[in-house]
Amino acid sequence: MPSVNGADVRKVVIACDAGMGSSVMVASTLSKKLKKYDVAVVHMPVNEIPADTPVVLCHAGLADRARSIAPGAVIVPFQMFMGDPAFAKVENAIKGGGVLES
Amino acid sequence: MGSLSPDTQQVLGADAVRLGLAATDRLDALRQCGAVLVEVGAATEAYAEAILEREESVSTYMGEGVAIPHGTDASREHIKRAALAVLQFPDGVDWGGHQVQLCIAIASRSDEHISLLQSLAMVLTDKQRAARLRETNDIDEVLTLLAPQAEEDDD
Repeated sequence: MPSVNGADVRKVVIACDAGMGSSVMVASTLSKKLKKYDVAVVHMPVNEIPADTPVVLCHAGLADRARSIAPGAVIVPFQMFMGDPAFAKVENAIKGGGVLES
Repeated sequence: MGSLSPDTQQVLGADAVRLGLAATDRLDALRQCGAVLVEVGAATEAYAEAILEREESVSTYMGEGVAIPHGTDASREHIKRAALAVLQFPDGVDWGGHQVQLCIAIASRSDEHISLLQSLAMVLTDKQRAARLRETNDIDEVLTLLAPQAEEDDD
């Protein structure tokens, strides 16, 4: 199972199907929160996730696809585009150096 | 008119902001979204169809009564130019258990629409401004609310 320490995360990928809607919305709110930890937040279609990506956030319905495209990445699924506990989980791990695992 | 820069105006024109609409259900609302994108020359009928398909897989409901319908990854070839359309349904539309009063329909192959969606994300974190977006009957107010702001370092 891929896992990563939040303190080592410098980049988080937000993926959705087309990369033009929901991932943009999630990325813009999350990048505001993570900017102070020097973590870049980018959005893209799930099919374009680079294989060496450490952490991917995506809707639960796309998690299996994300896993097949970036098997080495920690995949953090969410259900809601705003206010999902997954976003706080990632932020807290980055802030306090906790472990994130798929 | 409005307060959008010329670049942003190309993506969200006043002619693509439709307030005070009614829809019988989600499917009807999605069809209206696709029709506006086709009407303003942003996409073809095939893209409008893909909006229905995309919604089937994962809902585009974002919160605060707002959904952002758009096509699938594969349907991007049917986009002619980047555009957003704003469709307001004051009486609400049932969206898989959520009430949606505003749809922001998206057609884009690259990043031209990003700054508008970023400002939408900010509006949705502010309950009062989100309510204005759902309730206003002034097209200019919609354009002002969605106008991209300069980068600010808050919190």
